[in-house]
Amino acid sequence: MATVFYDKASVSVEWGSVGETLLASDFTINYSTSAQPLYAVGNKGSLGQFPSSARVGDISFNFITSLTGAHYGQKGNIINFLASGIKHSVGSTASGVTISGAGVKGFGFLNSYSLNVASNSISSSSASFTFFGHDNELPISGRLADSTVTVGLGTTAGGSLATGIAHGRYTPLTTLRTTIGAGYDPGPTDIGTVFGADYSVSFNHNPIYKLGQEFPVTSLYTTAQESINVTEDIFQSGLAFNESSNDYTIDLHGLDDASTNDKMQLKMISGKQVSTSMSAGLDDIVRSQKTLTASY
Amino acid sequence: MLGRIRREAESIAINGSGIQGVQSVSANYSSVARPLRNLGINSIKYAPEGPQTATLDVSNLLINTLPDSAPATSKELMQNFTGDIAFSGVVNHGAKNFIFTEGYMETYSVSCAIGEVPSVSTSSVIYGEFGTGTLANVPTDNSPSVVNIPSYSSMEINLDTFSTNRVSSFNVAIATPRVPLYVVGSDVPTGVIAGTPVEVNVNFTIEPDDYEIKNMRFVPDQTVFENTVITLKKNNSDATLLQYSFNDMLLTSESFQGDVDSNAQVNFNLRSFILR
Repeated sequence: MATVFYDKASVSVEWGSVGETLLASDFTINYSTSAQPLYAVGNKGSLGQFPSSARVGDISFNFITSLTGAHYGQKGNIINFLASGIKHSVGSTASGVTISGAGVKGFGFLNSYSLNVASNSISSSSASFTFFGHDNELPISGRLADSTVTVGLGTTAGGSLATGIAHGRYTPLTTLRTTIGAGYDPGPTDIGTVFGADYSVSFNHNPIYKLGQEFPVTSLYTTAQESINVTEDIFQSGLAFNESSNDYTIDLHGLDDASTNDKMQLKMISGKQVSTSMSAGLDDIVRSQKTLTASY
Repeated sequence: MLGRIRREAESIAINGSGIQGVQSVSANYSSVARPLRNLGINSIKYAPEGPQTATLDVSNLLINTLPDSAPATSKELMQNFTGDIAFSGVVNHGAKNFIFTEGYMETYSVSCAIGEVPSVSTSSVIYGEFGTGTLANVPTDNSPSVVNIPSYSSMEINLDTFSTNRVSSFNVAIATPRVPLYVVGSDVPTGVIAGTPVEVNVNFTIEPDDYEIKNMRFVPDQTVFENTVITLKKNNSDATLLQYSFNDMLLTSESFQGDVDSNAQVNFNLRSFILR
């Protein structure tokens, strides 16, 4: 029996020569094989259970949005680096990354990545990967074991202050504000106040299997969908049938706003507002929400 | 040398006005820094989680009132902050002081019992700065309060019940909800909305003669609504200092207490809500 307490169960992600241990609050790994019963005329029971597809696994985890990483010059955590790389990649072949947790590891492809920012709150993220395996490599390998690695949190503003995590205190999100004009110039303009935002991106991969081999020879990245939900105090009732598209940049800041390192950026290319909503509840102001989407 | 600071070296001023008759001042904050916890944790680091606020509780005897010329709704200084006005101030203790800004009152109460001078207690939330620093734009106190001491023996309470039943104490409590609006990129609210409704509770303790406990069932013919007016007058005078007046207060609770060595006692609570 392997007894692994949570303080020895860190989650690490490696891609090529770069890697990072994330501030995960949980993770779940699943591994499955598909066994289907086979029936035949003339036989009472089933002939047995046979695999109908390759073994696959997946991992999902939530983590504090750390900013201390720097991968090939891009500031921020490695998940954001991977998402940005896949999203803007010009080729179709996806390389996959090695994800390990508590001694178990797999070769995974990023399925989804999301994060949220709210006022006076620590930003949290989540990610999920699928393990397809590759050629003769199993999707998942290893056994439960302690892992001890150091996690950088940034200490520029104080020895024990976690400056290197994204926080709503210094993340203004002014680029996401809705501005509504009167339609004539000069006219009154209403500019929204941003209370928080949720960002998510999901990726589709296509593993290529061949006869005579269980695991794929390669995996291709196909499409990605990205969305940002912004909570404001302004309602865009003039949503157009075909809204114009814009690029939206989200700059996430850590607790040491003067630091040039503890920052991370996401960019939505050609995003369109596709919905707007407003809701009212007791003892609160009327808040609105808009959804921006982009596809790649 | 280990010194001490006594009451004569302590004071509090709000919006430039010194508060008189202070019985106690209590101010505190609790850091919102929380330790981060993660899988594989190997060091303790802290980060703030949630908005940072402080609280300020002040209790004072009602011995001063604002002059008639003061541009205020109430002649009782603190009662004026039950609305949507923020306040700032400073607490001095010896040679040191601390400031507070963007204070919003959440509860206000005034009470009096036989043998007492009416007292006021307030509790406020500080959304702005608290602690070290200097106050900017301290307003000039153009309407300093004047000594006016009311007394338990010179107040009027206009509830029919009290013509034949002796009132021994009362308490008026006003709860003013606040809704701070926090946006991303800032640790102070962009605004604090004065919530509604404002809840008013009035408690009386009487030594009954012919007072009758009501039926507890909430049925129309047994539901009691009262208009309550409490008038505080200057000691040994007919000059009105303050008046607390509330209409259509619902009788929400009654309690009876009989004891071997005291007179029978009845406590009852009246409640109403005021929409801003």
